[in-house]
Amino acid sequence: MQHDDEHLREFLKAALPSMRSERPSRDVWPLIAARTSARPSWSLADWSAAAVVAGALLLFPKWFWFLAYHL
Amino acid sequence: MSGEPDGDVLRRFARGDERAFEQLFRQFEVEVYGWILRIVRDRSGAEDVLVEAFWRAFRGRAQFDPARSFGAWMRRIATNAALDHLRALKRTRAWPSTVDALAAPAGPDRDTNEAIALAFRRLPADLQIVAALALLEEQPYADIADALGVPEGTVKSRVFRATRMLREELARLGVRP
Repeated sequence: MQHDDEHLREFLKAALPSMRSERPSRDVWPLIAARTSARPSWSLADWSAAAVVAGALLLFPKWFWFLAYHL
Repeated sequence: MSGEPDGDVLRRFARGDERAFEQLFRQFEVEVYGWILRIVRDRSGAEDVLVEAFWRAFRGRAQFDPARSFGAWMRRIATNAALDHLRALKRTRAWPSTVDALAAPAGPDRDTNEAIALAFRRLPADLQIVAALALLEEQPYADIADALGVPEGTVKSRVFRATRMLREELARLGVRP
């Protein structure tokens, strides 16, 4: 069994040899930097929550202190 | 593994200093890229995963303990990013061209190589990772376990399962090792 596994391993390695370690083909730092400096954008859920809160305050202004306490 | 960076750089990184982050990126990019490449076995895909891994590291910087190894922490993040990449490929079936990306011209013949690459790709992502690292790249089980955040015994059992599945898949494809 162990001999079979070793044989399979050699067979696989012949077809899929080890990947040579090398540098990336391009400098990817600008892509990372663009992501880190991007301001977090609001998702649809964020906008929906803000709209619900704003609507609730327009309809029920007295809720302001209740919401201010809980948010 | 690259030497550990200066403690001050690590502390600044953990606080969100982008210069410190770039310094760490420059020090570790080749090592991390090489590790990812061994897993995904596709240069273009490995570059995408490299970007994703460092982005995740920056997002998770508050969880990094500057007293611990940055290289080991980064390798674990890169492994998870590579795993997600493989899972996404399996979902979309947007594999890179077989022989160019996965296999090499060496080996029995082109059809056999294609079949072996196909059998490899049909493994579940968690088994494909251990098979690539243990069977093809001959990485120590302890390193693989550390990168995956699982016990060494789990790596051994995954290698065993991957070997069995590869054998079955190759038989189905009419390839006899």
